[in-house]
Amino acid sequence: MLSNILRGSAMALRTTSMRTALRPSGASPALWSSLRLYSSSLNNDDIRCRVIDVVKAFDKTTASAQINADTHFAKDLGLDSLDTVELLVAIEEEFDVEIPDKVADEIKSVSQAVDYIASNPEAN
Amino acid sequence: MSMSGLLRTSFTRTALRRGLATEAGQVAPRLKTFKIYRWSPDKPTEKPRLQEFQVDLNKCGPMVLDALLKIKDEQDGTLTLRRSCREGICGSCAMNIGGRNTLACLCKIDPDTSKESKIYPLPHMYVIKDLVPDLTQFYKQYKSVQPYLQRSSVPEDGKEILQSVEDRKKLDGLYECILCACCSTSCPSYWWNQEQYLGPAVLMQAYRWLIDSRDQASKMRKEMLQNSMSLYRCHTIMNCTKTCPKGLNPGFAIQEIKKSMALE
Amino acid sequence: MAKRLSGLQRDVLQMYRLCVREAHKKPLASRPNFLRYIRTEFVKYRDIPRKDFSTIEHLLRVGHRRLETFASPEVKDIH
Repeated sequence: MLSNILRGSAMALRTTSMRTALRPSGASPALWSSLRLYSSSLNNDDIRCRVIDVVKAFDKTTASAQINADTHFAKDLGLDSLDTVELLVAIEEEFDVEIPDKVADEIKSVSQAVDYIASNPEAN
Repeated sequence: MSMSGLLRTSFTRTALRRGLATEAGQVAPRLKTFKIYRWSPDKPTEKPRLQEFQVDLNKCGPMVLDALLKIKDEQDGTLTLRRSCREGICGSCAMNIGGRNTLACLCKIDPDTSKESKIYPLPHMYVIKDLVPDLTQFYKQYKSVQPYLQRSSVPEDGKEILQSVEDRKKLDGLYECILCACCSTSCPSYWWNQEQYLGPAVLMQAYRWLIDSRDQASKMRKEMLQNSMSLYRCHTIMNCTKTCPKGLNPGFAIQEIKKSMALE
Repeated sequence: MAKRLSGLQRDVLQMYRLCVREAHKKPLASRPNFLRYIRTEFVKYRDIPRKDFSTIEHLLRVGHRRLETFASPEVKDIH
C-alpha cells in the first residue's frame, strides 16, 4: 500500500518535470500568449491532414467513406464506441500525447480531435 | 441360461450386496442438510445462490471440511474451495460456517440433523468462485507492514542474534497466527474501510515485529501506523478475538500498539 | 443521438482505452493479436444490461487484474 502511494507520487513528479522540460525556458505566466504560439507550432491544416491520415489508415473505417474535417466517427464511419477509443489511441500515438479520459469521451469527430490536438501544448 | 436361472442369480447378487450394506452400517442414515453459497465467474450474469446438499453423517468425517470434500467427491465436483493441511495450520479453508468465520477443518459438524448448516465464503470479500475469496488486498496489506526482521547492526561474533527467555515469551500468542483472515473479515471496521484500515490480522503481525527485541525498526514501524486510518479504525469491537480459530487475541495486540504509541 | 454515457459505461470505455494503450506498447508483430484479444473479451459481454451493475463491476475488476498481468513487459504475445 505504502509503496503504491510512493510510486504514485513519483509518477506525479515525473510528469511535472516532463512538462517543465517541454516548456520553453524563461516562459513565465505573463508570456502565456507566446506559450500558446509555441503550443500550436503545429498548424491547424497540418494537424487536420495528419488526423485524417490516421483515420484513413484505421482498418475499421468504412472503405468508401469520404473523410474530411466534419466527419463524425459514429455517424459517418460507422464506428462503435470501442472503435472510437481505438482510433483515439492511434491519434494519441501520432501526436505523442495522452488524451485525458474526460476529454476523450467527448471527442466524436475529426474536427473535435483536431481542436484538442491544437490546444495541447505537448502535441508534436 | 433359463429365465428362472437368470432371475435367481440376479436375486442372490442383490441379496449379497444388501447383506454387505447392512453389515457396514446397521443404523439408519443421519442425513444432514448443508446449504452452500455458489457463484461462478464463468457465468457472471447469474446471481449467487444457496445450493442444498445432503450428507449421511454416518459415512462422513466429523469436520465440516470432511462434509465439503465428500460433497465435492460424490455429488458436485464443481464445488470450489481452498483447503490444504486439514488440521488447522495452513489457514486455507477459512469460511463462514453457521454465521461464524472459522476454519472448515477445525469446525465440527453440528450432529443435530434437524438443523441445516449454512456455509458462505468469508464475508465482505470479493468472491473468486463459490467459497474462494479474493485475498489480494489482505496480502498486500500484510506486505505493507514489512513482516521481517530489520536491523542496522549484526552481532559481533557473526552468529545468532540472541534473545532472552522473557523477550521470546512476548511473541507467544502472536507468532502462531496463520493469516487465515477470519478475524479481519469479521471486523465491521474492516468491512467499511478495507482500502485503508489494516485490520486485526495484519495489525497483530505489525505488533509482533514491533515488540520483537531483535528488531530495530520499531520507530519506522510506528510512524507508518501514525495516521487516522491504518490503526485507529479499530474501535475495540473484538469480533476478531471472538472468531479466531486459533484462539489468539488480535484485539489485545491492537490495544497494546495504541498504548505504546500514546505513551510516546 | 448524443446519448449521455453512464458513469459505469465511461469506466468500461476507460478500461478499454487502458488496454489498447497497453497493447500499443507491445512488439509491433504481436500487437494485432493483443487488440483482437481485447476486442473479443469486451464483445463477449456486450449484451449485459446496463443496469446490471454488480456483474459489470465484477468484470471491470477482473479486467483490471488481467490487464496488470498482461501489461508486464515479459508478456510479448497472446493467442
